[in-house]
Amino acid sequence: MRDAYIVSSVRTPGCRRGKGALKDTRPDDLLAFIMKAAVEKTGKLEPKDIDDVMIGCSFPEAEQGLNIGRLATQIAGFPITVSGATVNRFCSSGLEAIALSSLRVMAGWSEVTMGGGVESMTYVPMGGNLPRPHPEHAKAHADLYASMGITAENVANRYKVTREDQDAFAYESQMKAAKAQKEGLYTEIVPTPAAKYVLQDNGTYKRETFIQDFDDGVRDTTTKEGLAKLRAVFAVNGSVTAGNSSQTTDGAAATMIASGDAVKKYGLKPIARLRMYTTVGCEPDEMGVGPAVAIPKLLKLANMKASDIGLWEINEAFASQALYSIRTIGIEDQMDRININGGAIALGHPLGCTGAKLCATLLANMRRKGVKYGVESMCIGGGMGAAALFELCD
Amino acid sequence: MTRKIRKAAVIGSGVMGGGIAALLASAGVKTLLLDIVPFDLKEAEKTNPVARNRIAKAGLDNVLMSRPALLMQSKDADLISIGNLEDDFDKLADCDWIVEVVVENLKVKQDLLKRIEPVRKPGAIISSNTSGIPLKSMSEGLSGEFKQHFLGTHFFNPVRYMKLLEIIPGEETLADVLAFMADYGERVMGKGIVWAKDTPNFVGNRIGVQGMVKTMQLMLEDGMTIPEVDALFGPAMGRPKTAMFKTADLVGLDTLFHVAKNTYDLVPDDEARDDFVMPEFVSKMIEGKMLGKKTKAGFYKTDLTPEWKKIRKVIDPATLDHAEYGKVDLPCLAAAKAAKSLPEKMKAVVFGDDKGARFAWKAVASNLIYAANRIPEISDTIVEIDNAMRWGFNFEMGPFETWDAIGVEDAVAKMEAEGLAVPEAVKSMLAAGNHSFYRLENGKPYFYDFSTGSYQPVKISENIISLAGLKADGKTVKACKSASLVDIGDDVFCLEFHTKMNAINGEIVDFMAEGLEYVDANGAGLVIGNQAGGMPGAFSAGGDLAFMAGLAKEGKYAEIDAFLKKGQTGMQQVRYASFPVVAAPYGLTLGGGCEVCLGAADKIVAHSELYMGLVEIGVGLLPGGGGCLNLWKKMTGTIPGPVTDVDLAKFFIPTFMAIAMAKVSMSAAESRANGFLGPQDRIVFNRDYLVGEAKKEVIKMVDEGYAPPVKRPIQVLGAAAQGMIDAELFNMQSAKFVSEYDAFLAKRIAYVISGGDVRTNSAIDEEIILNLEREAFVDFWKQEKTVARVEHMLTTGKPLRN
Repeated sequence: MRDAYIVSSVRTPGCRRGKGALKDTRPDDLLAFIMKAAVEKTGKLEPKDIDDVMIGCSFPEAEQGLNIGRLATQIAGFPITVSGATVNRFCSSGLEAIALSSLRVMAGWSEVTMGGGVESMTYVPMGGNLPRPHPEHAKAHADLYASMGITAENVANRYKVTREDQDAFAYESQMKAAKAQKEGLYTEIVPTPAAKYVLQDNGTYKRETFIQDFDDGVRDTTTKEGLAKLRAVFAVNGSVTAGNSSQTTDGAAATMIASGDAVKKYGLKPIARLRMYTTVGCEPDEMGVGPAVAIPKLLKLANMKASDIGLWEINEAFASQALYSIRTIGIEDQMDRININGGAIALGHPLGCTGAKLCATLLANMRRKGVKYGVESMCIGGGMGAAALFELCD
Repeated sequence: MTRKIRKAAVIGSGVMGGGIAALLASAGVKTLLLDIVPFDLKEAEKTNPVARNRIAKAGLDNVLMSRPALLMQSKDADLISIGNLEDDFDKLADCDWIVEVVVENLKVKQDLLKRIEPVRKPGAIISSNTSGIPLKSMSEGLSGEFKQHFLGTHFFNPVRYMKLLEIIPGEETLADVLAFMADYGERVMGKGIVWAKDTPNFVGNRIGVQGMVKTMQLMLEDGMTIPEVDALFGPAMGRPKTAMFKTADLVGLDTLFHVAKNTYDLVPDDEARDDFVMPEFVSKMIEGKMLGKKTKAGFYKTDLTPEWKKIRKVIDPATLDHAEYGKVDLPCLAAAKAAKSLPEKMKAVVFGDDKGARFAWKAVASNLIYAANRIPEISDTIVEIDNAMRWGFNFEMGPFETWDAIGVEDAVAKMEAEGLAVPEAVKSMLAAGNHSFYRLENGKPYFYDFSTGSYQPVKISENIISLAGLKADGKTVKACKSASLVDIGDDVFCLEFHTKMNAINGEIVDFMAEGLEYVDANGAGLVIGNQAGGMPGAFSAGGDLAFMAGLAKEGKYAEIDAFLKKGQTGMQQVRYASFPVVAAPYGLTLGGGCEVCLGAADKIVAHSELYMGLVEIGVGLLPGGGGCLNLWKKMTGTIPGPVTDVDLAKFFIPTFMAIAMAKVSMSAAESRANGFLGPQDRIVFNRDYLVGEAKKEVIKMVDEGYAPPVKRPIQVLGAAAQGMIDAELFNMQSAKFVSEYDAFLAKRIAYVISGGDVRTNSAIDEEIILNLEREAFVDFWKQEKTVARVEHMLTTGKPLRN
């Protein structure tokens, strides 16, 4: 198989669902914008050079329905020849999209592709607009549809992740993010036009645009005491709170992938290669253990050890599952390599976008730190884990 | 001129001001709530509107936080705007009614009214909620036009719940202003009007406080204890459970003291002036900041042990120490308990011969005599005094009704034998051969009028239909032990339940069918309503649980099914009857009572105080009398015709939640918010108007050419609902928000409401849901845990979570 090179990887800011800066921006607009930005970022490629686009989305319906992967190419003004698809593997959708697009190049079927992800949790609620669990199956196996909060509680209870540890983890996430934000380390963010509806002097509303360039869920005022006071939201006497769970967020991200020939042809600067991608199933009612099974599978596939990995992005769906996964893999002594600029607890988890968003973040950090190998991983609703190995290009 | 209250203003945002504003807003009136600018503003705050409105804001916050709620629903607060008396005073110019509820200080009130005079628009009504300051002094020096529009409107606390509104005419108040305010208070605010005179503390507080203070004095003289007094002056005498001292703790000892002292100071010639002198120990309690509930210690006090166990204590007037107390044991109370009716209970208490009875008699006799002596000083008729005590103090009977209940002649004879000065008016009433203060003639109540020495009709609004009166006038056309059918005129009949808590039993179900036949043959329409007393009272607290528990115990499940079937069929027959049916619920309207309203009626005319819900799951059951079907129909019935492709799940979830969580509204407005009342249903603030207003709706429907609804298949969510609910219940149960049995019950309820095993969005016959209701109901009875829930409810009155 050929090599597939990532030649740009960018994201919009992640902004709070319903309250944040992107709440009035349609997901297709967000996506179209970041797709254009990803092309521009290469400095050389033009939209017409793209063979196909894969876009991850967890709830591909309503404003993000009707195959947003294709629609966004047209909203972005790409030529009609650029095809597009929507990919859904819930929380790894964005990573899945990048993997599929890379594979297409690796197989020799395409020269230039794009993989990305989008989710406006404001426009399309988690669970979708019309949840319809299977009546017969749900009678005996309702756990297949377990709410994410319950799975987080299950992980905390079954694997003894204490409230204190979860809160401490959440606190660190916020502090790391606040520091990174101050130091301007989120170089993968592209300032993004956002919409708002403003009451005009004539008494009617008008849609106006402003630029949003930072993640608006970061709380530098978070304290351990404050976190300790929050009530468990998902269960009686539970330990999972709004403070130690990921934030629900709006955002989009995109990554450009090119073959070696294309790199030469267009004079592109390769950033990294997606070396391995794997997924694995687990019990739906403790889906949070996903990384704990996917990462060992990935390392085995790559014939590597955890200590070979210089940077980790392990999605913080919940502190309980992230911490459990970190402990199980045995990398608790490498906390300075994990989610170094904070994770979803501070920055948000825009479901289908997250896989693509974390790719952009991981690659930015790998480049800045000169790290050769980085791993991205996450748990997935319904009971799965995904993990990917990235290798920095020289 | 037609008067309207387009906008009202309440000046003073304390407990009473906030309460009045809340009631106005709940009734849909835009209300301005003003208070003073705080005295202690810092320099920087002096131009800050938020700081300047701080006091009114705090008043509004108190309204929002008060429990029981003062607003019918919290969004009613949108109608209240706040401001201060400096920056917003000019806004009073827009108001048609301005009520002042500022501090009880003559100078402050005079100054305020002087400021209002040039601002108010011509014709605007100004009233004072003072409880003790003479109106005459307040309005001194104001223009004639102002005085013509000035009166007293004295509400009782808590304003939403206490029915009494004393209206006090000023010397120059225009008759049309008084008539308007009385009608407004009664119709819009739902109050009972008592016409009072401009005398110290008006009617309710004058009579009530005499009774309380005198009783305290007698208690010390007779060596009675506080718990004994409360046992005597509680339900045994037709008074609230809080009786005398617990009520005083609720009111606040300082407030009570203030009213008593104010009266004492202002009635130098009162023959019983000394009855207003609070015992010394009460003054000491006030000094010691034992003011009642607000300071957590009054006559009573509740201590908490480290194990959170409550220890109730009562004060010893001699030592002012609180100590635990036991059950009161007095022979007269035992006799009262055995007595069936309230008059018999009262007689047992006041005519007993133990120490408690002798004491109670003295206290009662003094109050009866005092009340009779106050006419015409504080009001023209005995009716005003009785109403004031019933509506302002929640007594079941006022002094003259009490006097009638224990027998006027017997009581007077006992008074005379003991050398008490019986009022001349009462003596002459008896001398003329009249044995009671009240009598019924052709179903209409008459009272003995002291001024003419004759019986005069009790004036009641034309909107009020009295079922008791009609029944006394022979208007009952059909009756059984549990229900009656009463002719309420104009070919309209009223189906009245009269069981305990108006629970629905087999007899009522049978009677409904007979009543239906009768109205079909002889009438134009039907009202389902009753006028049982109590606060908040019960239209119907549900089905007769004990009856069904009996059947279940003997394994007579087929009979339970047959009973339900009969109920469901009856309800459906009423629903599709040839004539209009209006239900008039108030107070507790639970379970079967709620099912009657939802299922049988074309329209609901509800009292604003409506506690409505399908609460069957609390006892391990589900609505089996059509409640599941009819709440679903109510929720989905108003989807406009052209809206054909709706997501029924959005309708299913609130319907399911209401039943599975046993949601009960805390007002009619909330019932509407919960979906139990639809857009066509009406809310009436005055409970006495309810049957009358329901009758008007029946007549209106007849006038409009009533055609019964056509029974058509209804759309249901089907299997999709069950998948959704099973998945969600898995979460709820994992989270321990619900027990395993709750989840079991809830799943079956979802199955029933969604139409059972049918394809999503199918249209099915109504009877299918009724069949599913019955099947589930009977199956639930076969479950041990349901039986345990029911037994627990029947023995303790409280729900069991298992």
